[in-house]
Amino acid sequence: MAIALLGLVGVYVRALVFTPIERTQGPAQKIFYVHAPAAWAALLAFAVAGILSLIYLWLRERKLDTIAESSAEVGLAFSIVMLTTGPIWGKPIWGTWWSWDARLTSTLFIFLLFVGYKVLRGAIVDPEMRARYSAVIGIMALVLVPFIHMTVYLFRTLHPDPVLMKPGRPALPGVMLITLLISIGVFTLLYVGFLMQRYALAVLRDVREEEAASAIP
Amino acid sequence: MPSSFWTVAWAVAAKDLKIEWRTKTAFASSIVFAVLVLAVFYFARDPTAVAALDIAPGALWVTFTFAAMLGLNRAFLLEKENRALDGILLAPVPRSAVFLGKLVGNLAFVAVVEFVSLPLFVLFYDLAIWRQLPTLIGVMAMATVAFVSVGTLLSSMVVRTRFAELMLPILLLPFLIPPVVGAVQLTSRVLAERPLSDLVGWLKLLASFDIIFVALCFFLFEATLEE
Amino acid sequence: MSPEARPALVARGVSRRFGHRVVVRDVSLEVGGGDTLLLVGHNGAGKTTLIRLLAGLLKPTKGSVTYRGVLGMVAHNSMLYDALTARENLSFYGSLYGRAAVQRSDELLERMGLTPHGDRRVATFSRGMVQRLAIARALLPDPNLLLLDEPLTGLDDAASGTVRDVLADLRAQDCAVIVATHQLVELVDLASAVGFLVGGRLVAVEPIEGRDATAVMVRYRELAANA
Repeated sequence: MAIALLGLVGVYVRALVFTPIERTQGPAQKIFYVHAPAAWAALLAFAVAGILSLIYLWLRERKLDTIAESSAEVGLAFSIVMLTTGPIWGKPIWGTWWSWDARLTSTLFIFLLFVGYKVLRGAIVDPEMRARYSAVIGIMALVLVPFIHMTVYLFRTLHPDPVLMKPGRPALPGVMLITLLISIGVFTLLYVGFLMQRYALAVLRDVREEEAASAIP
Repeated sequence: MPSSFWTVAWAVAAKDLKIEWRTKTAFASSIVFAVLVLAVFYFARDPTAVAALDIAPGALWVTFTFAAMLGLNRAFLLEKENRALDGILLAPVPRSAVFLGKLVGNLAFVAVVEFVSLPLFVLFYDLAIWRQLPTLIGVMAMATVAFVSVGTLLSSMVVRTRFAELMLPILLLPFLIPPVVGAVQLTSRVLAERPLSDLVGWLKLLASFDIIFVALCFFLFEATLEE
Repeated sequence: MSPEARPALVARGVSRRFGHRVVVRDVSLEVGGGDTLLLVGHNGAGKTTLIRLLAGLLKPTKGSVTYRGVLGMVAHNSMLYDALTARENLSFYGSLYGRAAVQRSDELLERMGLTPHGDRRVATFSRGMVQRLAIARALLPDPNLLLLDEPLTGLDDAASGTVRDVLADLRAQDCAVIVATHQLVELVDLASAVGFLVGGRLVAVEPIEGRDATAVMVRYRELAANA
């Protein structure tokens, strides 16, 4: 966790001071180094939650559900970051706070799925049923995301064309690319760090719940 | 001799429809809603600025999805009333047959609402659909199967939680995006008599959504039942 | 149960937790044709949960339940559809088991004294009629094992009498019966054995040995005090 935080500081120094200012977009473009990796982390968190859900239904190991739940919450946080930095970046560049374009919209729906997941968990008291139902939603959500992406892609999009994921060489000049990659690495570490912390909290909470329940005569 | 898969599915669907026919509440609400949407969208637009063709597909699909949601909750709610579902589960019936029965029941319900609303829309918006009718029906079928199957699975879970009526829309909304957006896009293109090549992308999306999600829902249904 | 007969139901070490509460703890029992086992316990002792576990509606967290043959269950909830008539309910449930079960509907309506009400909706039935119909439903597949959870609650004398007659008939027909109840007076003379459930644990199963309700209660208190 500490390493991740240090890394985060390091990336920002680099991004702000050392990376050249992008030609058409100006300094605001630097938000990209938070925005894109946050999106990546949200997606990662989502995928982890989804895959663990699948494995939970197969193995029924309670711990898997706890990790999935923690991952979902961390993912929720990252997606909020992505969704707030998006408009902040967008306003000076596009002149509008929001646009229904490909990636913002997809992340919005991932965000909604996370929210739905949390709401569902909140409405079920029995832990086994909660884990089972969360797993079902987790799997459905995982399968849904590519469809959402395809749906939005079939639309014309305002979002800057995929810079990294284009076939062929990435269109970013070398220095910026390196900053981006480092940023992604840092965010991945952040994700793991947050996940571990959140998981530890979840375990503590479960223990407390258990004690409270068995204290009832 | 135990009943076959299809007998069971049919029995469940027939029973659901018979019950809905007796009470008619969800059905009546859906039709009223359809007329409401129609009227609101119609009067809200400026006829000189917005063509009917631009508004009609959206209004149409809003109606259909909300009708579906009204019907979906009801399907498992009636099983909850006297724990009737327990009675079904006591019998040695394949769970997927029960799911199929529920799904068919829901599809029939939504289909009836769609076929009652469609002529109303044609009338109000002065749409010329006769030549496109087969294609339009095809699109309606594909999209309806998509959201009704996900909705059936979700409602089987949601009925056992608190705030069931609120939960279903919250959980279902993201799953509506690919099929409903696809349906609206396709409907508007079909009505504008665009060539097939314009439709192919969306058709493929809808078809793959249908195949994958229907299979997934069948597979996951059992996990929502066991205790 | 004669020594050579195979048991209709065998439960071994069955436990069930809900979250962190253990509601049923390490229950083992066996019943065969002609047995009528009364499960006695305070409210909250786990009777309903145990019946649901034995019926297969709940999965045990530990242990196993195995059956031979066909199972029927009468629970606190009727598992009937209020909007359907008695006949329609029976015909639906029967169709889950096969044509033979459906054909038994009229005969069962007759046996439970419900023939004059066969075409009335269940919503109009009194509690006694609902319970009798629920028993008819349970008997549709001609079960060799019947589980009942508090079958006499809220019944008037006439209805209670019908239920007791059915239980006596079942015993004569070599059906295995398990009844969870705290209404000992009406049922004790039908029982062949009594199981005492204290705090989720089946502390003893004893043959009835001609004891009356009072004697059974005394024994229960004795066992509960020592548990």
